Amino acid sequence: MENTEQQSSSMIKLEHVYKYYKSFLAVNDLNLELGRGEVFGFIGPNGAGKTTTIKMLSTLMLPTQGELTIGGYSVVREPYEVRRLIGYMPDSFGVYEDLLAWEYLDYFAALYKMGPAERKRAISDVLELTDLTAKRDAQVMSLSRGMKQRLCLAKTLLHDPSVLLLDEPASGLDPHARIEIRELIRELCRMGKTVLVSSHILTELADFCTSIGIIEAGRMLVAGRIDEITAQLTGHVMIEITVKGDPVLAMDALAERPEIKRTTSDGRTIHAEYSGHPDDADELLEYLVMRGVRILSFTRTEADLEDIFLKITRGVVA
Amino acid sequence: MTLWNPILIKEMRTRMRGKRAFLVLTGYVLVLSMILGGFYVAINRAAPVTVVNQAGGMLTPVLIYVQMALICLIAPTFSASAISSEREQQTFDLLIASLARPSTILVGKVGAALSYLLLTLFGSLPLIALTYSLGGIALRDIAIAYLVMIVAGIAFCSTSFLWSTLIRRGVLAQLVSIGTVIVLVAGIPAVSLFLSALANNFSGGQSQSAMNIVFLLLRTNPFAAIATQIHGIPLPSFVWLREIPFWITQVLFYLVVTALSLYLSVKRLERVRKWI
Repeated sequence: MENTEQQSSSMIKLEHVYKYYKSFLAVNDLNLELGRGEVFGFIGPNGAGKTTTIKMLSTLMLPTQGELTIGGYSVVREPYEVRRLIGYMPDSFGVYEDLLAWEYLDYFAALYKMGPAERKRAISDVLELTDLTAKRDAQVMSLSRGMKQRLCLAKTLLHDPSVLLLDEPASGLDPHARIEIRELIRELCRMGKTVLVSSHILTELADFCTSIGIIEAGRMLVAGRIDEITAQLTGHVMIEITVKGDPVLAMDALAERPEIKRTTSDGRTIHAEYSGHPDDADELLEYLVMRGVRILSFTRTEADLEDIFLKITRGVVA
Repeated sequence: MTLWNPILIKEMRTRMRGKRAFLVLTGYVLVLSMILGGFYVAINRAAPVTVVNQAGGMLTPVLIYVQMALICLIAPTFSASAISSEREQQTFDLLIASLARPSTILVGKVGAALSYLLLTLFGSLPLIALTYSLGGIALRDIAIAYLVMIVAGIAFCSTSFLWSTLIRRGVLAQLVSIGTVIVLVAGIPAVSLFLSALANNFSGGQSQSAMNIVFLLLRTNPFAAIATQIHGIPLPSFVWLREIPFWITQVLFYLVVTALSLYLSVKRLERVRKWI
C-alpha cells in the first residue's frame, strides 16, 4: 500500500468527474490535482457541489462519470485502500450520545483495525491534539457543540490519515469554537497532511490554505494559489513595502518599473500593484535595495478572498 | 472478520447502559410471572386435584406461547432500526467511511439484537424451571420449544435488519418489520385456511390436496410447531411428510428465511454507495 502511495506524486486527483442526481447535474466536469502537504480550500455557495465532491472522495458516493484517485488508489474500485488513507469529517454528523468520549474514539479506532495498545496510544494522542484530554471520561452527550466537533476531528485523526477531507468543519460554531477549530486545522497543516477543506466562510480558509478552488453550480470556476488567482483575475498582486525614512525614494524607484501599475503610501508603508509573475517578486526587492532603498519589510499580501469570490461567482446557486 | 466485533461491543455498551435494558427485562419477566400466577390460581380453584398435580403440563405451554408472542412483538424492534437509526442520527457516513465491512456491520448489529433477545429468553428460565417442577411436561419438549423460539427470534431479527437497510426512517422500518412478522406468523396460516375453504367450496367436500397444502403452510408456523410437539396433535394419514415433526420443517424454513434476509442485507450494504 505504502509503495503505491509513495510512487504517486499527487495525493488527490479528479479527472473529468460528473455527478448527476437523476437529471440534476451536481458536479460538472471537475478536474483537480493536489500534491502531498497541500492545503486546498474548497469554496462555493451552498449547493455548489462541495459536499458531493467530498462524499465521492470519501468513497461514500459513486461518480456518474470520471476518475477519482487518492494516493494512487481508485476511489471507485479500491474503496478500502482509500479509506485507510483518508480521514473524513462530514459537514453534519452525529455522535453516539450514550458513549463516553474515549469509548467513542475506541469504537472508531477498532473499526480501523487498530490493536488495543495502538488504540490506547492513538486515543491519548488525538485527545491531546484536540485539547479534550480532560473530557476523556465525559459522556458525549454532555459535550458542547464545539467539543463534539473537536471530538469528531479527533476521530478523523485516529488512524493517522495522510489525507484529510473536512467538509465545513467549523459550521454552526460560535466564534470562539470556530477559532479553536481553525487553529487545529492549522496545526494539521503543519503536520504535513494533505487537506481538502470546504467552507463558504471565506475568511476561515484564507489564513492556512496553500491553494483554493471556487466551485459554483457543480463547475470549478477557478483553482490555484490565491495570489495566482488574484493575478489572473486582476492582472496584479499586491506588495506591501515598509521603508526606513522617506518613502519618496522608493516610490520613485517603483514608478520606473514597468510591472508596477500603481503605488499608494500610508506613512512609511507603500502598497504596490505588481503585475509580474508572483514568484519573480524577489527581483523587485533586489532592484529596490540596489537603488538604495532601506527596506524594513517586503511582503506579498494575499488578496481578499471575498473579493475574488464575488468577482468569480455569479450567484447561480446561493 | 474476527469474533471480536467493535460494532457488537459498542451496541452492547449502549444497550446495557442505563435503566432501559434492565427495565425491559424486568417488565418481560414480570408480565410472564403475572400471567403464570393468574393461570395457576385459576387452575387451583377450578380444576380437580389430578389436574392440579399435573399443572406443569398446562402452565408450561402457556408460558411458552406467551413468550413466543412476546418474541414476535419485541424481536423486530431490536434490529429494525439498526441501520435506520445510524442514518437518522447521522453516524452512518462515519461508519461506512471506516474500514468496517458489510459482514462486520451485519454481525455487529444482528448479533447485538440477538444477544439481547437471548438474554430476555434466558431471563424466563427460572419460571420454566418452576413450571417444569410441577410435572406434566417433558424436558425434551421444553428444549424443542426453546429452539423454535430462538430460531424464530433469529429470523425476525434478520428480516428486520433487512428492512432497516431498505427503509430510511426507523419508525417505518419497525412497522414494516412487525408487519412481516405478522405475515409470517398469522398471515400464512390465514392464507392456508382461506385456500382450504376455497378448495372445499369448489370440490364440495374435504379435498386431500388442499388439506396437504394447508398442513405444509402450517409447518412454517412456530406456534403450530410448539403445539404439535407439546400436545402431540395427531395428523390425518394422508398428510404429506407425516413422519417429520412440525418443528423440524419450521426451524428449517425459518433458517432459510434468515439466510435469505442476511444475504440480501449484505448485498444491500455492499452497494451502499448507490443509496446512502
